[in-house]
Amino acid sequence: MRVWASTLGGFSRSRLVRRVLRDYELGLTSYGDVERTLLEASSAIIGVQVASGLAYVTDGMLDWHDIFRPFVESWRNVTPTGLLRFFDNNFFYRIPRFTGLPEPSRLVLAPRVRKFAPIAEPSGFKVVLPGPVTFALMSSNESGYSLEELSEAIANILAGEAKAAVEAGASMVQIDEPMLTDPEVSRDSAVLAAELSSRIASASGPARTILALYFDVPRADVYEELLNSKVQCLSLDLIDALERALKLTASKGFGGHCAVLGLVNSRVVHEDPIDKLSSIAGKALKDYSGEEAGLTTSTWLDLIPYDYSVRKARILGLLAEKLAHSRAWELVWRAG
Amino acid sequence: MASYTVPVKFPTTVVGSYPKMPQAEEAIKRRKAGEISEEEFLDLVKPAVRDVVNDYVWAGVDIISDGEQARDDMVVYFAERLGGYGRGDWVRVFDNVYFKKPIVTGKVEWLRPMILDHWEYATSISMGRPVKAIITGPYTMVEWSFDIHYRDKRELVLDLAKVVRRELEELVKRGAKYVQVDEPALSTRPWREDAELLKEALDIVFKGLDAKRIVHICFGRLERIIPYILDYPVDQFDLEMKNSNFRLLPFLKEYGYNKELGFGVVDVHIHQVESVKEIEEAIDKLMKTDIVGPEKTYIKPDCGLKRQQRETARLKLKNMVEAAKRAREKW
Ligand SMILES: [Zn+2]
Repeated sequence: MRVWASTLGGFSRSRLVRRVLRDYELGLTSYGDVERTLLEASSAIIGVQVASGLAYVTDGMLDWHDIFRPFVESWRNVTPTGLLRFFDNNFFYRIPRFTGLPEPSRLVLAPRVRKFAPIAEPSGFKVVLPGPVTFALMSSNESGYSLEELSEAIANILAGEAKAAVEAGASMVQIDEPMLTDPEVSRDSAVLAAELSSRIASASGPARTILALYFDVPRADVYEELLNSKVQCLSLDLIDALERALKLTASKGFGGHCAVLGLVNSRVVHEDPIDKLSSIAGKALKDYSGEEAGLTTSTWLDLIPYDYSVRKARILGLLAEKLAHSRAWELVWRAG
Repeated sequence: MASYTVPVKFPTTVVGSYPKMPQAEEAIKRRKAGEISEEEFLDLVKPAVRDVVNDYVWAGVDIISDGEQARDDMVVYFAERLGGYGRGDWVRVFDNVYFKKPIVTGKVEWLRPMILDHWEYATSISMGRPVKAIITGPYTMVEWSFDIHYRDKRELVLDLAKVVRRELEELVKRGAKYVQVDEPALSTRPWREDAELLKEALDIVFKGLDAKRIVHICFGRLERIIPYILDYPVDQFDLEMKNSNFRLLPFLKEYGYNKELGFGVVDVHIHQVESVKEIEEAIDKLMKTDIVGPEKTYIKPDCGLKRQQRETARLKLKNMVEAAKRAREKW
């Protein structure tokens, strides 16, 4: 089996990035300064991932205030409003308020891919999209359209984002649907998420596609529906609730998708026990017959301090090497 | 000391925090900068505590607090005063706003009283009104800190429970009749295993403690937690109700809730002042649902009032007290 690693998403901001963003908000510095600092800081983050042997890397999304914000700010008929707790984190996102169906006024991802993908060599460059169902469910919908119609409109724009990003050089497209792990989410939402993620996947051309589920483990009936998605890979957070996660993979498997295992705990700062994680990976893949598997962090790395987010990327790389070595798996460390 | 009789029916109270007075803000800044000692800090905050107590007395609240004027953050305040916590590190709260999240780097230890001084001061000027001793609970302390020492949530929660217990013992020794443990983090993780861990911790915190034992929980998935917490060793749950439009009431009824109820009737997230009539109707609603009687119902805001303007907080409390008065005549 071929095994590769990639952190799930964004990184924390270094002191320098926090300061330049603050100074810019206070009118003390120019946007050019912000751009230059972000280019330097993102390049450093990319370097950390490449040097850790991660086959796919992100730019760290250092300027995103939350997963929805860059899109909200690039679309018409939606604005960021009040704060709400982001899942069970001590972090708050701004609730997007839709007053109509969204219309894009500019692309978010493709310009970033053009800027950063060349720096990422030999690793592949991954872009991350907020899943359309999570986006709609976590927004306030004053559009006059149903949740389904709103999700669909969001998905159509995101499919355009994915297509343009892949054309610009992205080799992996990840669709984040953490709301689908909510214990109270409906099965209908799962059906919709499967359908809309399929739509984004089919716009992603030759790039690898991943549906990412994290912060918790989806209910079995929800997961069954998500297995119908036409994305290539399914990513699960194995660490937040280990027993429930292993029960789910044992009973439902990955439905023919490439398995991506969220193993490195990105919500705590202590070092992960690599031996224990190797054994968890073995359990999760016991009946797995896929030709390749991915390893990742349990969630994004933006919920812990900067130093630790860098360290966790390194631990993920170490875990991948150790696993590949001990199980005679082929380690993929560059995009093929 | 003046004596004060807490009404038998619908006593009024607060959850704890109150808008920060300027003297408190200033003192916190100077303490962080290392310009003043802990003793000087506590003294500098006292005028702020006095202002808060005066507001409570003006509004007519029966069981009051010190307004948590010394606490910049409900977790950081204690982390900075316990053994076992190291220097925190920056994590984002929202947008580009960061806070220094505490990190446990050794065995957590109680060093000296942390809330006693202002509790005593508030008690000395409350004209007999009881002052609640309020502390952040072990589960929330752990959920909202990092840990590089224990690497085991249960072990750390139980050690912090001993620390909280030690602090509350000091207060009960000095005469505290009401002790409250705040556990807002519980409702963000509404799982049986988390609720059971907190129960184990509360057994340590409250066992044999001679005071009214209260746990405050707010926002999030309260209805999912209720069935798991009914056998907690506490006298009262202090709950947020108004903000979620009292949707918890049918669940309390269904699960046969029979402890005292801290009933949130004032929304701490909106700036509009609830009218007396609106609050009265909320109390009527609870009475008609027939879950607990007037003697077991404490009337209070949903949560701490720290995010309100002082004037709004005062008016909200004043109307709350007036509504409780009217309810006493009716029920
Ligand atoms: Zn609260």
